Amino acid sequence: MATEYVKFVDVTKCDGCRACMVACKNWNDLPAEPQDFSGSVQSHAKTTADTWNVLQYIEHEDSKGNLDYLFRHSACFHCTDAACEKVCPENAISYTDFGTVVIDHEKCVGCGYCVNNCPFEVISLKEYVDKNGDKYKKANKCTMCTDRLEEGLQPACVTTCHTGAMEFGDKAEMIKKAEARVKQIKDRYPNAMVYNPQGVGGTHTVYVLAEKPSVYGLPENPKVPTSAVIWKDYAQPIGKMMIGATTMAVVGAFITNTIISKKKNGKNEDGGEHHE
Amino acid sequence: MKKSVVSKEYQNLQKDILALQENWKKSINPESIIPNLDKGAMSAGVPAAALTSINFEISLFLQWIEEINTLLTKMNPELETKLAGISALVNEETAIRWIDEAFSFNSVYFASFAEENGLEEWIPQFLAETALRPYLQVTAEKVQHEITHAVPGAGCPVCGEPARLAVLRDEGQKVMTCPRCLAHWQAKRIECAHCGNYDHNTIQYITIEGDSTSQIQVCEKCTGYIKVIDTRQYLSMPSSAMLDLNTIHLDFVAQEQGYQVVGQVKQSN
Repeated sequence: MATEYVKFVDVTKCDGCRACMVACKNWNDLPAEPQDFSGSVQSHAKTTADTWNVLQYIEHEDSKGNLDYLFRHSACFHCTDAACEKVCPENAISYTDFGTVVIDHEKCVGCGYCVNNCPFEVISLKEYVDKNGDKYKKANKCTMCTDRLEEGLQPACVTTCHTGAMEFGDKAEMIKKAEARVKQIKDRYPNAMVYNPQGVGGTHTVYVLAEKPSVYGLPENPKVPTSAVIWKDYAQPIGKMMIGATTMAVVGAFITNTIISKKKNGKNEDGGEHHE
Repeated sequence: MKKSVVSKEYQNLQKDILALQENWKKSINPESIIPNLDKGAMSAGVPAAALTSINFEISLFLQWIEEINTLLTKMNPELETKLAGISALVNEETAIRWIDEAFSFNSVYFASFAEENGLEEWIPQFLAETALRPYLQVTAEKVQHEITHAVPGAGCPVCGEPARLAVLRDEGQKVMTCPRCLAHWQAKRIECAHCGNYDHNTIQYITIEGDSTSQIQVCEKCTGYIKVIDTRQYLSMPSSAMLDLNTIHLDFVAQEQGYQVVGQVKQSN
Protein backbone atom coordinates (compact mmCIF):
# COMPACT_ATOMS: atom_id res chain seq x y z
CA MET A 1 0.00 0.00 0.00
CA ALA A 2 1.18 3.49 -0.83
CA THR A 3 1.83 5.94 2.01
CA GLU A 4 -1.43 6.88 3.70
CA TYR A 5 -1.96 10.57 3.08
CA VAL A 6 -4.48 12.96 4.53
CA LYS A 7 -5.56 16.45 3.60
CA PHE A 8 -5.20 18.69 6.63
CA VAL A 9 -7.49 21.72 6.55
CA ASP A 10 -6.89 24.39 9.16
CA VAL A 11 -10.00 26.53 8.85
CA THR A 12 -8.50 29.18 11.11
CA LYS A 13 -5.93 30.01 8.43
CA CYS A 14 -8.47 30.18 5.60
CA ASP A 15 -9.26 33.67 4.30
CA GLY A 16 -12.16 32.53 2.13
CA CYS A 17 -10.55 33.35 -1.22
CA ARG A 18 -12.19 30.36 -2.94
CA ALA A 19 -9.07 29.56 -4.99
CA CYS A 20 -9.54 25.91 -3.94
CA MET A 21 -12.93 25.90 -5.68
CA VAL A 22 -11.44 27.36 -8.84
CA ALA A 23 -8.47 24.99 -8.81
CA CYS A 24 -10.82 22.03 -8.44
CA LYS A 25 -13.00 23.14 -11.34
CA ASN A 26 -9.91 23.78 -13.41
CA TRP A 27 -8.15 20.46 -12.78
CA ASN A 28 -11.27 18.30 -13.00
CA ASP A 29 -12.69 20.22 -15.94
CA LEU A 30 -16.01 20.88 -14.21
CA PRO A 31 -18.48 23.35 -15.70
CA ALA A 32 -19.51 26.53 -13.92
CA GLU A 33 -22.89 26.50 -12.20
CA PRO A 34 -24.32 30.02 -12.04
CA GLN A 35 -26.23 30.50 -8.79
CA ASP A 36 -28.80 33.00 -7.61
CA PHE A 37 -27.76 35.29 -4.79
CA SER A 38 -28.77 33.63 -1.55
CA GLY A 39 -28.02 36.48 0.82
CA SER A 40 -24.52 35.28 1.59
CA VAL A 41 -21.08 35.45 0.02
CA GLN A 42 -21.23 31.66 -0.16
CA SER A 43 -21.60 30.68 -3.80
CA HIS A 44 -23.29 27.29 -3.57
CA ALA A 45 -25.44 25.98 -0.72
CA LYS A 46 -23.46 22.71 -0.72
CA THR A 47 -21.32 20.55 -2.96
CA THR A 48 -22.97 19.41 -6.17
CA ALA A 49 -22.16 16.95 -8.96
CA ASP A 50 -20.25 19.70 -10.77
CA THR A 51 -18.90 21.59 -7.77
CA TRP A 52 -16.88 19.16 -5.70
CA ASN A 53 -15.78 21.60 -3.08
CA VAL A 54 -17.59 24.59 -1.67
CA LEU A 55 -16.28 27.27 0.62
CA GLN A 56 -18.68 27.72 3.51
CA TYR A 57 -19.14 31.19 5.04
CA ILE A 58 -20.71 31.10 8.47
CA GLU A 59 -21.73 34.11 10.54
CA HIS A 60 -21.35 32.85 14.07
CA GLU A 61 -22.02 34.51 17.39
CA ASP A 62 -19.45 33.31 19.89
CA SER A 63 -19.98 32.81 23.63
CA LYS A 64 -19.12 36.46 24.33
CA GLY A 65 -21.71 37.68 21.85
CA ASN A 66 -19.15 38.72 19.26
CA LEU A 67 -19.64 38.04 15.60
CA ASP A 68 -17.17 35.63 14.10
CA TYR A 69 -16.97 35.02 10.39
CA LEU A 70 -15.97 31.39 9.89
CA PHE A 71 -14.82 29.77 6.66
CA ARG A 72 -14.56 26.10 5.80
CA HIS A 73 -13.39 24.31 2.69
CA SER A 74 -15.98 21.54 2.38
CA ALA A 75 -15.51 18.48 0.19
CA CYS A 76 -15.58 14.70 0.42
CA PHE A 77 -13.93 13.47 3.63
CA HIS A 78 -12.73 10.19 2.11
CA CYS A 79 -13.80 8.19 5.18
CA THR A 80 -11.72 5.19 6.15
CA ASP A 81 -14.98 3.31 6.66
CA ALA A 82 -17.11 4.94 3.99
CA ALA A 83 -20.88 4.58 4.09
CA CYS A 84 -21.09 5.26 0.34
CA GLU A 85 -18.81 2.31 -0.35
CA LYS A 86 -20.84 0.16 2.00
CA VAL A 87 -24.19 0.84 0.40
CA CYS A 88 -23.19 0.75 -3.27
CA PRO A 89 -24.97 -2.31 -4.69
CA GLU A 90 -22.75 -2.34 -7.79
CA ASN A 91 -19.39 -2.07 -5.98
CA ALA A 92 -18.80 1.06 -8.03
CA ILE A 93 -17.27 2.86 -5.05
CA SER A 94 -13.91 1.66 -3.83
CA TYR A 95 -10.83 2.66 -1.84
CA THR A 96 -7.58 3.44 -3.62
CA ASP A 97 -4.10 2.61 -2.35
CA PHE A 98 -3.93 6.19 -1.07
CA GLY A 99 -7.01 5.64 1.10
CA THR A 100 -9.13 7.90 -1.10
CA VAL A 101 -12.66 6.88 -2.03
CA VAL A 102 -13.47 6.92 -5.74
CA ILE A 103 -16.47 6.17 -7.96
CA ASP A 104 -16.13 3.98 -11.03
CA HIS A 105 -18.53 5.47 -13.57
CA GLU A 106 -18.46 2.29 -15.64
CA LYS A 107 -20.09 0.44 -12.78
CA CYS A 108 -22.27 3.20 -11.30
CA VAL A 109 -25.95 2.80 -12.18
CA GLY A 110 -27.05 6.07 -10.58
CA CYS A 111 -29.23 4.43 -7.89
CA GLY A 112 -28.43 7.22 -5.44
CA TYR A 113 -27.92 5.00 -2.35
CA CYS A 114 -24.53 6.65 -1.76
CA VAL A 115 -26.12 10.11 -1.96
CA ASN A 116 -28.69 9.19 0.69
CA ASN A 117 -26.21 7.51 3.03
CA CYS A 118 -23.24 9.90 3.00
CA PRO A 119 -23.13 11.39 6.52
CA PHE A 120 -21.56 14.57 5.13
CA GLU A 121 -23.89 14.98 2.13
CA VAL A 122 -21.07 15.47 -0.35
CA ILE A 123 -22.13 13.06 -3.13
CA SER A 124 -24.55 14.12 -5.85
CA LEU A 125 -26.06 12.54 -8.91
CA LYS A 126 -25.52 14.12 -12.29
CA GLU A 127 -27.85 13.60 -15.20
CA TYR A 128 -26.28 12.75 -18.54
CA VAL A 129 -27.90 12.25 -21.95
CA ASP A 130 -26.57 9.53 -24.25
CA LYS A 131 -26.44 9.73 -28.06
CA ASN A 132 -29.96 8.30 -28.33
CA GLY A 133 -31.31 11.08 -26.15
CA ASP A 134 -31.84 8.73 -23.19
CA LYS A 135 -31.17 10.14 -19.75
CA TYR A 136 -29.06 8.36 -17.15
CA LYS A 137 -27.46 9.33 -13.86
CA LYS A 138 -24.05 8.83 -12.26
CA ALA A 139 -22.78 9.74 -8.80
CA ASN A 140 -20.09 12.43 -8.60
CA LYS A 141 -17.88 13.78 -5.85
CA CYS A 142 -14.36 14.94 -5.01
CA THR A 143 -11.74 12.33 -5.88
CA MET A 144 -9.01 13.95 -3.73
CA CYS A 145 -7.37 14.34 -7.17
CA THR A 146 -6.42 10.65 -7.14
CA ASP A 147 -5.21 11.10 -10.72
CA ARG A 148 -2.71 13.68 -9.44
CA LEU A 149 -1.67 11.51 -6.48
CA GLU A 150 -0.86 8.72 -8.92
CA GLU A 151 1.49 11.15 -10.67
CA GLY A 152 3.17 12.08 -7.41
CA LEU A 153 1.37 15.43 -7.18
CA GLN A 154 -0.70 16.92 -4.38
CA PRO A 155 -4.43 17.64 -4.84
CA ALA A 156 -5.14 20.77 -6.89
CA CYS A 157 -6.95 22.57 -4.03
CA VAL A 158 -3.97 22.09 -1.70
CA THR A 159 -1.38 23.38 -4.15
CA THR A 160 -3.33 26.55 -4.79
CA CYS A 161 -4.04 27.51 -1.16
CA HIS A 162 -2.10 30.71 -0.59
CA THR A 163 -2.58 30.99 3.16
CA GLY A 164 -1.32 27.49 3.87
CA ALA A 165 -4.72 26.52 5.30
CA MET A 166 -4.44 23.20 3.51
CA GLU A 167 -1.63 20.72 3.60
CA PHE A 168 -1.30 17.24 2.23
CA GLY A 169 1.01 14.69 3.75
CA ASP A 170 1.63 11.63 5.84
CA LYS A 171 -1.38 10.85 8.04
CA ALA A 172 0.41 10.65 11.39
CA GLU A 173 2.38 13.83 10.72
CA MET A 174 -0.72 15.79 9.68
CA ILE A 175 -2.72 14.67 12.72
CA LYS A 176 0.19 15.70 14.94
CA LYS A 177 0.24 19.12 13.28
CA ALA A 178 -3.51 19.46 13.71
CA GLU A 179 -3.29 18.66 17.42
CA ALA A 180 -0.46 21.14 17.91
CA ARG A 181 -2.43 23.82 16.07
CA VAL A 182 -5.48 23.30 18.31
CA LYS A 183 -3.31 23.91 21.39
CA GLN A 184 -1.95 27.05 19.75
CA ILE A 185 -5.38 28.59 19.05
CA LYS A 186 -7.23 27.55 22.21
CA ASP A 187 -7.01 31.08 23.64
CA ARG A 188 -8.81 32.60 20.72
CA TYR A 189 -11.08 29.66 19.94
CA PRO A 190 -11.85 27.77 23.17
CA ASN A 191 -14.02 25.28 21.28
CA ALA A 192 -11.32 24.52 18.71
CA MET A 193 -10.91 20.84 17.92
CA VAL A 194 -9.48 18.31 15.54
CA TYR A 195 -12.29 16.82 13.46
CA ASN A 196 -11.31 13.30 12.44
CA PRO A 197 -14.49 11.38 13.32
CA GLN A 198 -13.81 7.85 14.50
CA GLY A 199 -17.38 6.71 13.85
CA VAL A 200 -16.34 6.34 10.21
CA GLY A 201 -12.89 4.99 11.07
CA GLY A 202 -11.26 8.42 10.76
CA THR A 203 -11.24 10.44 7.56
CA HIS A 204 -8.67 11.38 4.95
CA THR A 205 -9.58 15.03 5.33
CA VAL A 206 -8.72 16.13 8.82
CA TYR A 207 -9.90 19.52 10.02
CA VAL A 208 -8.91 21.95 12.69
CA LEU A 209 -12.28 23.55 13.40
CA ALA A 210 -12.56 26.82 15.28
CA GLU A 211 -15.94 25.87 16.72
CA LYS A 212 -17.99 22.76 17.39
CA PRO A 213 -18.76 20.69 14.28
CA SER A 214 -22.45 21.57 14.46
CA VAL A 215 -21.59 25.25 13.87
CA TYR A 216 -20.30 24.19 10.47
CA GLY A 217 -23.31 21.94 9.88
CA LEU A 218 -21.19 18.84 10.44
CA PRO A 219 -22.40 15.80 12.38
CA GLU A 220 -20.80 15.58 15.83
CA ASN A 221 -20.27 11.86 15.55
CA PRO A 222 -21.02 10.56 12.05
CA LYS A 223 -21.45 6.81 11.66
CA VAL A 224 -21.90 4.33 8.90
CA PRO A 225 -25.69 3.67 9.11
CA THR A 226 -26.44 0.32 10.77
CA SER A 227 -28.81 -0.43 7.91
CA ALA A 228 -25.86 -0.06 5.51
CA VAL A 229 -23.72 -2.47 7.52
CA ILE A 230 -26.57 -4.99 7.71
CA TRP A 231 -27.23 -4.54 4.00
CA LYS A 232 -23.65 -4.92 2.80
CA ASP A 233 -22.11 -7.24 5.36
CA TYR A 234 -25.03 -9.58 5.98
CA ALA A 235 -28.02 -9.18 3.67
CA GLN A 236 -26.06 -9.07 0.39
CA PRO A 237 -23.76 -12.05 1.05
CA ILE A 238 -26.65 -14.10 2.47
CA GLY A 239 -28.78 -13.01 -0.48
CA LYS A 240 -26.05 -14.12 -2.89
CA MET A 241 -25.73 -17.40 -1.05
CA MET A 242 -29.49 -17.79 -1.26
CA ILE A 243 -29.38 -17.08 -4.97
CA GLY A 244 -26.75 -19.78 -5.27
CA ALA A 245 -28.81 -22.20 -3.21
CA THR A 246 -31.98 -21.38 -5.13
CA THR A 247 -30.18 -21.79 -8.44
CA MET A 248 -28.76 -25.10 -7.34
CA ALA A 249 -32.23 -26.20 -6.26
CA VAL A 250 -33.74 -25.16 -9.60
CA VAL A 251 -30.97 -26.88 -11.57
CA GLY A 252 -31.23 -29.97 -9.35
CA ALA A 253 -34.99 -30.06 -9.75
CA PHE A 254 -34.68 -29.64 -13.51
CA ILE A 255 -32.22 -32.52 -13.82
CA THR A 256 -34.20 -34.75 -11.48
CA ASN A 257 -37.47 -33.97 -13.24
CA THR A 258 -35.92 -34.60 -16.66
CA ILE A 259 -34.57 -37.99 -15.57
CA ILE A 260 -37.84 -38.93 -13.91
CA SER A 261 -39.91 -37.79 -16.87
CA LYS A 262 -37.59 -39.73 -19.21
CA LYS A 263 -38.03 -42.80 -17.08
CA LYS A 264 -41.76 -42.24 -17.13
CA ASN A 265 -41.65 -41.80 -20.93
CA GLY A 266 -39.63 -45.00 -21.19
CA LYS A 267 -42.24 -46.82 -19.15
CA ASN A 268 -44.96 -45.39 -21.31
CA GLU A 269 -43.10 -46.48 -24.45
CA ASP A 270 -42.62 -49.89 -22.93
CA GLY A 271 -46.23 -49.92 -22.05
CA GLY A 272 -47.03 -48.96 -25.60
CA GLU A 273 -45.04 -51.88 -26.89
CA HIS A 274 -46.97 -54.14 -24.58
CA HIS A 275 -50.17 -52.78 -25.94
CA GLU A 276 -49.08 -53.49 -29.41
CA MET B 1 6.60 11.67 -10.92
CA LYS B 2 5.36 8.60 -12.72
CA LYS B 3 5.23 10.15 -16.16
CA SER B 4 8.70 10.36 -17.57
CA VAL B 5 10.19 9.69 -20.95
CA VAL B 6 13.01 7.85 -19.17
CA SER B 7 12.50 4.08 -18.92
CA LYS B 8 11.79 2.58 -15.51
CA GLU B 9 14.95 0.44 -15.81
CA TYR B 10 17.19 3.46 -16.34
CA GLN B 11 15.48 5.35 -13.53
CA ASN B 12 16.10 2.40 -11.23
CA LEU B 13 19.74 2.24 -12.27
CA GLN B 14 20.15 5.93 -11.50
CA LYS B 15 18.42 5.50 -8.14
CA ASP B 16 20.84 2.69 -7.31
CA ILE B 17 23.80 4.83 -8.36
CA LEU B 18 22.55 7.72 -6.19
CA ALA B 19 22.19 5.31 -3.27
CA LEU B 20 25.76 4.12 -3.83
CA GLN B 21 27.01 7.71 -3.92
CA GLU B 22 25.18 8.50 -0.68
CA ASN B 23 26.94 5.52 0.86
CA TRP B 24 30.33 6.54 -0.50
CA LYS B 25 29.91 10.03 0.92
CA LYS B 26 29.93 8.52 4.41
CA SER B 27 33.42 7.13 3.85
CA ILE B 28 34.85 10.52 2.86
CA ASN B 29 36.72 12.17 5.67
CA PRO B 30 35.33 15.75 5.85
CA GLU B 31 38.77 16.93 6.98
CA SER B 32 40.16 15.92 3.59
CA ILE B 33 38.19 18.76 2.00
CA ILE B 34 39.55 22.20 2.84
CA PRO B 35 37.71 25.09 1.19
CA ASN B 36 39.75 28.17 0.53
CA LEU B 37 37.04 30.47 -0.72
CA ASP B 38 38.37 33.66 -2.20
CA LYS B 39 35.57 36.20 -2.47
CA GLY B 40 37.17 37.97 -5.42
CA ALA B 41 37.63 34.77 -7.40
CA MET B 42 34.13 33.59 -6.56
CA SER B 43 32.57 36.88 -7.62
CA ALA B 44 34.40 36.45 -10.92
CA GLY B 45 32.66 33.07 -11.32
CA VAL B 46 35.38 30.65 -10.24
CA PRO B 47 33.67 27.53 -8.84
CA ALA B 48 34.21 26.95 -5.13
CA ALA B 49 35.42 23.39 -5.76
CA ALA B 50 38.29 24.82 -7.83
CA LEU B 51 39.26 26.89 -4.78
CA THR B 52 39.08 23.89 -2.49
CA SER B 53 41.88 21.57 -1.67
CA ILE B 54 40.54 18.02 -1.85
CA ASN B 55 42.71 15.20 -0.63
CA PHE B 56 41.36 12.36 -2.77
CA GLU B 57 41.73 8.87 -1.42
CA ILE B 58 42.69 7.03 -4.59
CA SER B 59 42.06 3.56 -3.20
CA LEU B 60 38.46 4.60 -2.42
CA PHE B 61 38.04 6.04 -5.91
CA LEU B 62 39.26 2.75 -7.45
CA GLN B 63 36.98 0.76 -5.18
CA TRP B 64 33.99 2.89 -6.21
CA ILE B 65 34.72 2.31 -9.88
CA GLU B 66 34.67 -1.42 -9.16
CA GLU B 67 31.35 -1.04 -7.38
CA ILE B 68 29.81 0.87 -10.31
CA ASN B 69 31.04 -1.86 -12.65
CA THR B 70 29.40 -4.50 -10.49
CA LEU B 71 26.13 -2.56 -10.41
CA LEU B 72 26.12 -1.95 -14.16
CA THR B 73 26.81 -5.61 -14.85
CA LYS B 74 24.10 -6.67 -12.43
CA MET B 75 21.55 -4.41 -14.14
CA ASN B 76 22.67 -5.34 -17.64
CA PRO B 77 24.71 -8.56 -17.93
CA GLU B 78 25.55 -7.70 -21.55
CA LEU B 79 27.92 -5.01 -20.25
CA GLU B 80 30.13 -7.57 -18.52
CA THR B 81 32.41 -8.08 -21.53
CA LYS B 82 32.55 -4.35 -22.25
CA LEU B 83 33.56 -3.48 -18.68
CA ALA B 84 35.84 -6.48 -18.13
CA GLY B 85 39.15 -4.78 -18.85
CA ILE B 86 38.54 -1.58 -16.84
CA SER B 87 40.06 -2.74 -13.55
CA ALA B 88 43.34 -3.55 -15.24
CA LEU B 89 43.39 -0.20 -17.04
CA VAL B 90 42.70 2.08 -14.10
CA ASN B 91 45.70 2.25 -11.79
CA GLU B 92 46.56 4.98 -9.30
CA GLU B 93 48.09 7.19 -11.95
CA THR B 94 45.08 6.90 -14.27
CA ALA B 95 42.74 7.50 -11.36
CA ILE B 96 44.44 10.81 -10.52
CA ARG B 97 44.19 11.83 -14.18
CA TRP B 98 40.55 10.73 -14.34
CA ILE B 99 39.68 12.84 -11.27
CA ASP B 100 41.30 15.91 -12.81
CA GLU B 101 39.72 15.44 -16.21
CA ALA B 102 36.28 14.54 -14.83
CA PHE B 103 36.40 17.64 -12.65
CA SER B 104 36.95 19.85 -15.69
CA PHE B 105 34.53 17.73 -17.77
CA ASN B 106 37.19 17.03 -20.40
CA SER B 107 35.19 14.90 -22.84
CA VAL B 108 38.01 15.00 -25.39
CA TYR B 109 40.43 13.26 -23.02
CA PHE B 110 37.92 10.53 -22.12
CA ALA B 111 36.97 9.97 -25.76
CA SER B 112 40.61 9.49 -26.72
CA PHE B 113 41.18 7.25 -23.65
CA ALA B 114 38.28 5.07 -24.76
CA GLU B 115 39.57 4.92 -28.32
CA GLU B 116 43.12 4.04 -27.27
CA ASN B 117 41.90 1.22 -25.05
CA GLY B 118 39.16 -0.12 -27.29
CA LEU B 119 36.34 0.85 -24.93
CA GLU B 120 32.94 2.22 -25.79
CA GLU B 121 33.12 6.01 -25.72
CA TRP B 122 30.72 6.56 -22.80
CA ILE B 123 32.42 4.20 -20.36
CA PRO B 124 35.50 6.06 -18.99
CA GLN B 125 33.79 9.43 -18.48
CA PHE B 126 30.67 7.83 -17.00
CA LEU B 127 32.72 5.90 -14.44
CA ALA B 128 34.99 8.82 -13.58
CA GLU B 129 32.12 11.28 -13.25
CA THR B 130 30.03 8.91 -11.11
CA ALA B 131 32.94 8.28 -8.74
CA LEU B 132 33.88 11.98 -8.56
CA ARG B 133 30.44 13.24 -7.60
CA PRO B 134 30.50 12.19 -3.93
CA TYR B 135 33.56 14.43 -3.42
CA LEU B 136 31.82 17.32 -5.18
CA GLN B 137 28.70 16.78 -3.12
CA VAL B 138 30.56 16.74 0.18
CA THR B 139 32.36 19.91 -0.94
CA ALA B 140 29.00 21.52 -1.75
CA GLU B 141 27.63 20.55 1.67
CA LYS B 142 30.66 22.10 3.30
CA VAL B 143 30.49 25.43 1.46
CA GLN B 144 26.70 25.64 1.06
CA HIS B 145 26.36 28.31 3.77
CA GLU B 146 28.58 30.61 1.67
CA ILE B 147 26.62 30.07 -1.54
CA THR B 148 23.88 32.63 -1.83
CA HIS B 149 23.89 33.44 -5.51
CA ALA B 150 25.68 32.62 -8.74
CA VAL B 151 27.46 34.72 -11.32
CA PRO B 152 25.37 34.66 -14.53
CA GLY B 153 27.03 32.47 -17.13
CA ALA B 154 29.47 30.87 -14.70
CA GLY B 155 27.24 27.87 -13.97
CA CYS B 156 27.08 26.23 -10.58
CA PRO B 157 29.02 28.29 -8.03
CA VAL B 158 30.39 25.08 -6.49
CA CYS B 159 31.26 22.74 -9.37
CA GLY B 160 30.83 24.86 -12.50
CA GLU B 161 28.17 22.62 -14.07
CA PRO B 162 26.01 24.67 -16.48
CA ALA B 163 22.96 26.01 -14.62
CA ARG B 164 19.87 24.30 -15.99
CA LEU B 165 17.47 23.40 -13.20
CA ALA B 166 15.46 25.54 -10.80
CA VAL B 167 12.75 24.59 -8.35
CA LEU B 168 9.98 26.75 -6.93
CA ARG B 169 9.73 26.48 -3.15
CA ASP B 170 7.83 27.88 -0.19
CA GLU B 171 6.18 31.13 -1.23
CA GLY B 172 7.35 30.77 -4.81
CA GLN B 173 11.06 31.38 -4.38
CA LYS B 174 13.11 30.27 -7.35
CA VAL B 175 16.01 28.18 -6.15
CA MET B 176 18.60 27.03 -8.67
CA THR B 177 19.87 23.53 -7.96
CA CYS B 178 22.83 21.63 -9.36
CA PRO B 179 22.12 18.02 -10.31
CA ARG B 180 25.86 17.28 -10.19
CA CYS B 181 26.97 18.49 -6.74
CA LEU B 182 23.47 19.18 -5.31
CA ALA B 183 24.38 22.76 -4.30
CA HIS B 184 21.57 25.31 -4.42
CA TRP B 185 21.32 29.07 -4.58
CA GLN B 186 18.65 31.72 -4.88
CA ALA B 187 17.74 33.44 -8.13
CA LYS B 188 15.26 36.08 -9.19
CA ARG B 189 12.05 34.72 -10.69
CA ILE B 190 12.61 36.62 -13.92
CA GLU B 191 16.30 36.35 -14.52
CA CYS B 192 18.38 34.46 -17.07
CA ALA B 193 20.94 32.21 -15.36
CA HIS B 194 23.21 32.46 -18.40
CA CYS B 195 23.43 36.17 -19.21
CA GLY B 196 21.79 37.81 -16.20
CA ASN B 197 19.07 39.39 -18.34
CA TYR B 198 16.07 40.38 -16.24
CA ASP B 199 14.01 42.19 -18.86
CA HIS B 200 10.55 40.66 -18.71
CA ASN B 201 10.01 41.36 -22.40
CA THR B 202 12.80 39.03 -23.45
CA ILE B 203 12.32 36.29 -20.91
CA GLN B 204 9.65 33.85 -22.03
CA TYR B 205 8.19 30.60 -20.75
CA ILE B 206 7.44 27.43 -22.67
CA THR B 207 4.93 25.12 -21.00
CA ILE B 208 3.96 21.60 -21.88
CA GLU B 209 0.24 20.91 -22.18
CA GLY B 210 -0.89 18.62 -19.37
CA ASP B 211 2.29 19.14 -17.37
CA SER B 212 1.20 21.51 -14.64
CA THR B 213 4.48 21.54 -12.74
CA SER B 214 7.10 22.37 -15.36
CA GLN B 215 8.14 25.43 -17.28
CA ILE B 216 11.07 26.13 -19.54
CA GLN B 217 12.37 29.63 -18.98
CA VAL B 218 14.03 30.89 -22.15
CA CYS B 219 16.01 34.04 -22.77
CA GLU B 220 15.67 35.74 -26.15
CA LYS B 221 18.89 37.66 -25.58
CA CYS B 222 21.28 34.74 -25.17
CA THR B 223 18.99 31.87 -26.34
CA GLY B 224 19.80 29.97 -23.16
CA TYR B 225 17.18 28.05 -21.17
CA ILE B 226 16.61 26.60 -17.75
CA LYS B 227 13.98 24.18 -16.49
CA VAL B 228 11.76 25.51 -13.68
CA ILE B 229 9.90 22.87 -11.69
CA ASP B 230 7.17 23.73 -9.20
CA THR B 231 8.07 21.13 -6.59
CA ARG B 232 5.55 22.62 -4.18
CA GLN B 233 3.00 20.45 -5.97
CA TYR B 234 4.99 17.25 -5.39
CA LEU B 235 4.07 14.73 -2.73
CA SER B 236 7.73 14.23 -1.94
CA MET B 237 10.77 16.16 -3.07
CA PRO B 238 13.02 14.11 -5.36
CA SER B 239 16.78 14.71 -5.42
CA SER B 240 17.99 17.27 -7.96
CA ALA B 241 19.71 14.51 -9.93
CA MET B 242 16.51 12.50 -10.32
CA LEU B 243 14.50 15.63 -11.03
CA ASP B 244 16.93 16.59 -13.78
CA LEU B 245 16.71 13.10 -15.29
CA ASN B 246 12.93 12.84 -15.13
CA THR B 247 12.45 16.22 -16.76
CA ILE B 248 14.75 15.46 -19.67
CA HIS B 249 11.81 15.86 -22.07
CA LEU B 250 11.97 19.59 -21.31
CA ASP B 251 15.58 19.67 -22.55
CA PHE B 252 14.46 18.05 -25.80
CA VAL B 253 11.64 20.55 -26.23
CA ALA B 254 13.86 23.55 -25.47
CA GLN B 255 16.63 22.40 -27.78
CA GLU B 256 14.16 21.59 -30.56
CA GLN B 257 12.93 25.18 -30.24
CA GLY B 258 16.48 26.41 -30.78
CA TYR B 259 17.47 27.18 -27.19
CA GLN B 260 20.78 26.13 -25.69
CA VAL B 261 22.05 24.65 -22.45
CA VAL B 262 24.55 27.48 -22.22
CA GLY B 263 23.27 30.76 -23.63
CA GLN B 264 25.59 33.12 -25.42
CA VAL B 265 25.01 36.78 -26.09
CA LYS B 266 25.96 37.53 -29.66
CA GLN B 267 28.69 40.13 -29.84
CA SER B 268 28.34 42.84 -32.43
CA ASN B 269 30.78 45.52 -33.43
